[in-house]
Amino acid sequence: MGSTKLTGEGKRQITSFFVPGDIPDLHGMHLSVLDCTFSSLTRATLGFMRHDAMQAVCDQHASIATVLWRSTLIDAAIYREWVTNLGRRDAYAGMAHILCELIVRLQSMGLIEDHVAELPITQTALADALGLSTVHVNRVLQELRRDGLIITDGSRFHAVDWGELVRAGDFDATYLHQRTAKTL
Amino acid sequence: MARYFFDSGDRDTVLKDEVGIECDGIENARREAMQGLIDLTREALEDLNGQQLFIEIRDEHGEKLARFSLSLHTQLRDQEASDLR
Repeated sequence: MGSTKLTGEGKRQITSFFVPGDIPDLHGMHLSVLDCTFSSLTRATLGFMRHDAMQAVCDQHASIATVLWRSTLIDAAIYREWVTNLGRRDAYAGMAHILCELIVRLQSMGLIEDHVAELPITQTALADALGLSTVHVNRVLQELRRDGLIITDGSRFHAVDWGELVRAGDFDATYLHQRTAKTL
Repeated sequence: MARYFFDSGDRDTVLKDEVGIECDGIENARREAMQGLIDLTREALEDLNGQQLFIEIRDEHGEKLARFSLSLHTQLRDQEASDLR
């Protein structure tokens, strides 16, 4: 899943990715108008919960309300990291960063092992997430392969040199606030 | 839709595209190449007189369809003056 915005000219910016287990629209509980679009970037299975039911659970269990609040705070931390990616990192670092982030997030959900991720995401979607042309995304992926950081096979990404990918992406998993991230 | 390949680089190094991009015809592929060249320039252009950056479009059969290139020419003021002398 991705949250997306369209510019007046019709250019798409993907503003964040969501992996299985995430609650993309948690802010919708308290903000009645949706200010972005959520769209599936791959095949996805979605679960829906009524806001009033969520509110009732939160009213009854403060600890659940805290966990959900924490989740939206981490979403905000991810946005801050993406702003930095878009504004100040070059394409090579930005791409490495986004791959590191997806791998850590999928790994912390127990969905992948050994830094091998199934990411059936198009080069165009990566371009829209990084604010780059598709041709440049294609080039940067080629560079990451050439430098021995990743191996790709169709939609399968294998971070063969995790340490180097982390360095290239200027990636520090602290902003994801996940306990398991440290053990990677 | 057809798959086009976008090789890119400068005079010294060429990065061959082994994956390609699906484009809706050559016009679309040309637009993509142009955007790619703008990004490449932003990232790779250095203060190097004569540096050339390019993107070349190939089709699935390896046939070259188009080449977009630009080069940098720098001339320092005092050098210009001495050239005139």
